[in-house]
Amino acid sequence: MKGLEKIIICRCEEVDLEEIRQTVSQYGSSARETKLRTRAGMGYCGGRICRPMLDAILKKIMGDKPQDQIPLKIQPPVRPVTLARLGDGLHHDD
Amino acid sequence: MMTNRIVNHPVLGKLEERKVIQFTFDGKQFSGCEGDTVASALWANGVKKLRVHEESGQPRGLYCNIGHCFECRVTVNGQPGVRACLTKIEENMVIESGKQLPTPLKTKGPGDHLPRTYAEYATKAETSEEENSRA
Repeated sequence: MKGLEKIIICRCEEVDLEEIRQTVSQYGSSARETKLRTRAGMGYCGGRICRPMLDAILKKIMGDKPQDQIPLKIQPPVRPVTLARLGDGLHHDD
Repeated sequence: MMTNRIVNHPVLGKLEERKVIQFTFDGKQFSGCEGDTVASALWANGVKKLRVHEESGQPRGLYCNIGHCFECRVTVNGQPGVRACLTKIEENMVIESGKQLPTPLKTKGPGDHLPRTYAEYATKAETSEEENSRA
């Protein structure tokens, strides 16, 4: 994978492959811990783009160690919504 | 105007005439066709950079074009976070690109920590003042 180290994995939080690899080699972290340390997968899109990539990268680096058996969770809301929309449909424009 | 639009496609044929719609992007006047999305209308005008990353300022534009990745979000008529790839243009639409935001609480490196108490803050302010006067 030479030359691909600077490829961006998480576009929302701008985390590249190098940063993920460094974090994993430094802390021996699982997919979830890597997510929390680098913020990859915690951006605006809710990890919709990079979550499968993160899981795949971690699986490749760590092999099939038991700590990686839990894939990254999908948190509600599945799509970004505004607080106004969640607020019972009430509008305070007037 | 509309330099990047394919008007004569070898398979799909000629592009039919459509109503021209005027809109502004970052204060500049542009025109697109009826039925265009914000992204396609801007792309036809040669504008591919829709926003910059809020923290780093790196340019961002269309990525998935199906409303999935939120990379193309712009501000439309004052409403932020609108996906340019899914929103159709309307007459006199005011579109603003995403800008870089200030990061006053960002640490500058591994040795730089935010002060946790006022005493820490005071010493930190003092030392940085000394450094500034020396420089």
